[in-house]
Amino acid sequence: MVWLGALMLIATTTWIGFEWSSRLANRPKHIRQVKNALQILEAEMMYSQLPLQEAFHAIKKQTPFPIHAFFDRLYKNMHQESKDFKVVWGNSLDELMDISCLGKNEKEILLQFGQTLGQHDFNQQQKHIYLARSHLERELENANDQYEKYGRMAKSLGVLCGLFIVLLLL
Amino acid sequence: MNEISRLFPNQLQTELDRALTNRWEPLQEIRLRLQQPIELIFNQSHEQLVHLKPDKHDFVHIIQQLSDYSLYRMEEELREGYMTIEGGHRVGLAGKVNTLNGSVKAIQYITFLNIRIAKQKIGAARKLMPYLYNNGYKNTLIIGAPQTGKTTLIRDIARIISTGSNQVSPLKVGVIDERSEIAASINGVPQHDLGSRTDVMDACPKAEGMMMMIRSMSPEVLIVDEIGGNKDVEALLEALHAGVVVICTVHGYTLDELKRRPAIKRLLSQGIFQRFVLLHHTSIPGSSYTIYDESKRNMLRQKSGV
Repeated sequence: MVWLGALMLIATTTWIGFEWSSRLANRPKHIRQVKNALQILEAEMMYSQLPLQEAFHAIKKQTPFPIHAFFDRLYKNMHQESKDFKVVWGNSLDELMDISCLGKNEKEILLQFGQTLGQHDFNQQQKHIYLARSHLERELENANDQYEKYGRMAKSLGVLCGLFIVLLLL
Repeated sequence: MNEISRLFPNQLQTELDRALTNRWEPLQEIRLRLQQPIELIFNQSHEQLVHLKPDKHDFVHIIQQLSDYSLYRMEEELREGYMTIEGGHRVGLAGKVNTLNGSVKAIQYITFLNIRIAKQKIGAARKLMPYLYNNGYKNTLIIGAPQTGKTTLIRDIARIISTGSNQVSPLKVGVIDERSEIAASINGVPQHDLGSRTDVMDACPKAEGMMMMIRSMSPEVLIVDEIGGNKDVEALLEALHAGVVVICTVHGYTLDELKRRPAIKRLLSQGIFQRFVLLHHTSIPGSSYTIYDESKRNMLRQKSGV
């Protein structure tokens, strides 16, 4: 029985370690996807001259999960949830945070970006997109660094923690 | 009036609805100024809602609703200073203007809004029509000061001609709508009923528009708003020589005054207009007018409710 318990403990901590590591690995990936989505948004605004809602629809079709879920929600709720676009954007962002590995900083960047959407003429709108993208670029570097620093360590740390606790308890 | 009240933030909307109960009918304009009381203009009167002062957030909200959250698409509108919304209502904009090489680029900070409520008066021109028809429609010039109902009248004329009646079969009508007032189109779709045989050239310069229409759409009747410049007159003469019936409006107070304007004088001296409709200023726009025939004889002097 003792051995079974020990095994389970190690399995659990290992799993936690892997989960942590995968979050670290996914964060840069998701940031990249958001950046891509912003680039598509810019193109849809500039070349297709689509209204915001249609632009969201177009982005939704071109992006992978979880970003696509975010734009899908925006597209569907834009005229239902609230007349205030900021509210819809904020709520969608909250949901995105639950299903993606984006960090606090990215959330703040996107939140700020949402405040500017649809209120400016094209040139200003484009500047805001660039600004958000350059902020995200910085976070991306940061996320990459973190992954390199802690990614592998997180995995081994999980196993080792498990072993350590088992040894203590035995 | 849902198209209009949906523009406002919830709180303003309820307050406005309360202030306006049963008074949508005579309402002409809702004017908003930053930090100033909202002003309502009715047919006969105007009033200020002293307790309603829209702030910056209200303006942002309204502008977002106006542009469907996509102000970046409104370049043209921001340069022209107005936009047309669903239902044909027009919203005039004013504020801080950005210029590029001396010409207006866009209104950057919108701080004044004038929501002008469009009311299509179906049947406004019905009483007028028999005078414009005598074995075919006559070339007609409608003369009126601002707010006398020129556009209302010409819109209904377009509708009646292209719908036809028991005695008169419907004709192909071409409307050149330079200021998007006759049809109030959004993305080329007219928001007012102009009849089933009407084609609209929206936001197109009149002179070019008339020629384009004649070349490509073969209209039998051309309807043009607010002619004025030499180029307009040139194109009008061209159209008339092409055998198209022209019905147009012009800004003015009396026939004699028109003769003093060089471009119009040229048009009148050719003797091509067979009917002149002079609109009078009354409380109900488009309801009172005098009609002259080609030799400037008064065909009637009538005052009638619509």
